[in-house]
Amino acid sequence: MSKKIYLDNASTTPVEKEVLKEMIPYFSEKFGNPSSIHGLGQEAKVAIDKSRKKIANFLGCDSEEVIFTGSATEANNIFIRGVLGSFENPHVITSAIEHDAVLKTVKKSGVDYTVLKVDEDGFVNPEDLKKKIKKETVLVSVMYANNEIGTIEPIKRIGEMIEKENEGRDRKILFHTDAAQAAGYLSCNVDELGVDGLTLSGHKIYGPKGVGVLYKGSSVNMRPIIYGGGQEEGLRSGTYNTPLIVGMAKAVELIKEKNKKEKTEELRDYLIREVLKIKDASLNGPKKSRLPNNTNFSFQGAEGESLVMILDQEGISTSTGSACSSKTLEPSHVLKAIGLKDLQAHSSLRVSLGRKTTKKDLDKFLAVLKEAVERLRKISGR
Amino acid sequence: MNRKNKKVVVGVSGGVDSSVALTLLKEKGFSPIALFINFQEENNRCCGSEARRRAGETCQELNIPFYEINAEERFKERVIEYFLDSYKEGKTPNPCVVCNKQIKFKVLFDKLKDFNASYIATGHYARIDEGKIFVAEDEKKDQSYFLWDLSKEVLRKMIFPLGKLTKTEVRKRAREFDLPTAETAESQEVCFVESDLESFLRGRISLVPGDIKDKTGKKLGTHVGLPVYTIGQRRGIGLSGGPYYVLRKDTDRNVLVVTKDRKDLEERRVSFERANFFEKPDLPLPVEAKIRYNAPKGKGVLKEDLFLFDEPRRAITPGQSIVFYKGEKLLGGAVIK
Repeated sequence: MSKKIYLDNASTTPVEKEVLKEMIPYFSEKFGNPSSIHGLGQEAKVAIDKSRKKIANFLGCDSEEVIFTGSATEANNIFIRGVLGSFENPHVITSAIEHDAVLKTVKKSGVDYTVLKVDEDGFVNPEDLKKKIKKETVLVSVMYANNEIGTIEPIKRIGEMIEKENEGRDRKILFHTDAAQAAGYLSCNVDELGVDGLTLSGHKIYGPKGVGVLYKGSSVNMRPIIYGGGQEEGLRSGTYNTPLIVGMAKAVELIKEKNKKEKTEELRDYLIREVLKIKDASLNGPKKSRLPNNTNFSFQGAEGESLVMILDQEGISTSTGSACSSKTLEPSHVLKAIGLKDLQAHSSLRVSLGRKTTKKDLDKFLAVLKEAVERLRKISGR
Repeated sequence: MNRKNKKVVVGVSGGVDSSVALTLLKEKGFSPIALFINFQEENNRCCGSEARRRAGETCQELNIPFYEINAEERFKERVIEYFLDSYKEGKTPNPCVVCNKQIKFKVLFDKLKDFNASYIATGHYARIDEGKIFVAEDEKKDQSYFLWDLSKEVLRKMIFPLGKLTKTEVRKRAREFDLPTAETAESQEVCFVESDLESFLRGRISLVPGDIKDKTGKKLGTHVGLPVYTIGQRRGIGLSGGPYYVLRKDTDRNVLVVTKDRKDLEERRVSFERANFFEKPDLPLPVEAKIRYNAPKGKGVLKEDLFLFDEPRRAITPGQSIVFYKGEKLLGGAVIK
């Protein structure tokens, strides 16, 4: 088989060579427990402190506000459940297109919640959000950019609106955003965004899997959901995973140098233009305010799952929706939220670009895609 | 022939048979694409997560692309509901026949088209030659009984790599290749009935207790609900002074008719419906027929909607398949009325 073409970078990315190199000494050589007093332990502690500082620089916050977690999902859980658990009778607002790591966490929290509708491109309207705020509201969680359809939410405007609302409110509303998909391409300065909580993921930005970051503003009070040795201000007990933390920080540090935003946007727009030349192909999600590396299409009369398999046969990796939910038959909640019918949702294909993607890759993809769509339509009799 | 049209879509189950089928296809120069069909995520003896793991591992070792197809909804609609409906009507269903036609081979055939492949294959024990099915070399394992309702369209694309092997040879080969599936147990019984039939049916269909009577109408006891009994059944009737055999299920009166005389169960005449023949038979035709998967073939004459055995057969069961053979060739089959 010829070279593999990887167009599923929204699912995960490979660990960048420089990142791996940084991590390796911390497995067997500099293996000390950062909580130990001796030299080996201190060596690891220094590495973690440095990593924390790098992340703090990226987020424009203090080192003390950076909490290392086992994943973005865990970071979302720690923040949302931690905040909701420290209030009597709280109310929380989130959006209909959140990742399950937020949506399910909110729904299972046992507190009063509102799931905000989005428009046909997946945008949350800050004015609509404002109307849903109640006296009891303590938390709003809206993702920075959507993992399936790439919609970039107006986080800054929502942040400003909440700040205004908070003036003269007894119960201040906290604002959290899941930036797992956004971090690779968008500014994550927490002050500019006006957030009290923000989530990052390692493996979406060419770092290792199994590590995430939670930014928690210093004024936020919350309860731990994991108890133990009291690491990370008591909010994330568990021995520090030094190599992954070091890798996470290196990955964040490399974003600016490695992620070519404009080049990626150009490739994305080229791809969208070319795909839409296929008859009865449509773009899911917005044309503007879209993640530079995300595209998502529906092809009437061609099942997404079959397309993924056919493309895979030609060495091209894509996905139908988010990799996490690809096992279920239920169409994606995100596509449903933007008004797609089940049939359209089943015929969707997400193609997400990465650092290594070239125009040649996309041309090869387009050639295989056209043939596959045509064949599937012929079979389904369209 | 170029590499592209040697593509074969293979149904894999995580068992030893389909795994060995993959190795044989590869050896013959085919390019297999393995599909694991998920019929039921939970409460299934065969296609649970353990089987999926084994299937995936096997394919990885053999360097064969592996995909999982979810058919849960269709399986529930087409197979489980048919199964329950049959019992409600007092019949004994053949879910594997229905699953093969409606789910297993249908999915494989659909994917053949999607992938633009040339063939489909499974680990069934049967032989196929120019679109005709023949009994497997290992007659004890022969599964042609379950294949009578497939379409000719499907058969034209079908390969059964295990047709000429015995089960012992298949196991031996799996061990030689050190396949993760080499020691998997035989799949038996209905895959979605986890424990016993009675507890499966209970709660899913109504089981109304009624009288157990003998042929003369004399009441002998009480049954727990007609669906749980099968014609010819001896064990579990719950009568003393036996052994008794289930002779008939009178669904109109909710009476289970039993007998002590095995001879009562014997009959030569089998009427059937919903027949499928791979080639139109010239009636009347002397052929052999099988009325149960594990029953021996018997000679007789095939007529319109009727088969007449030369020698009487025991326990002819409505709902089961009657399958016809001419020598080793499978002619077709039907559902016993």
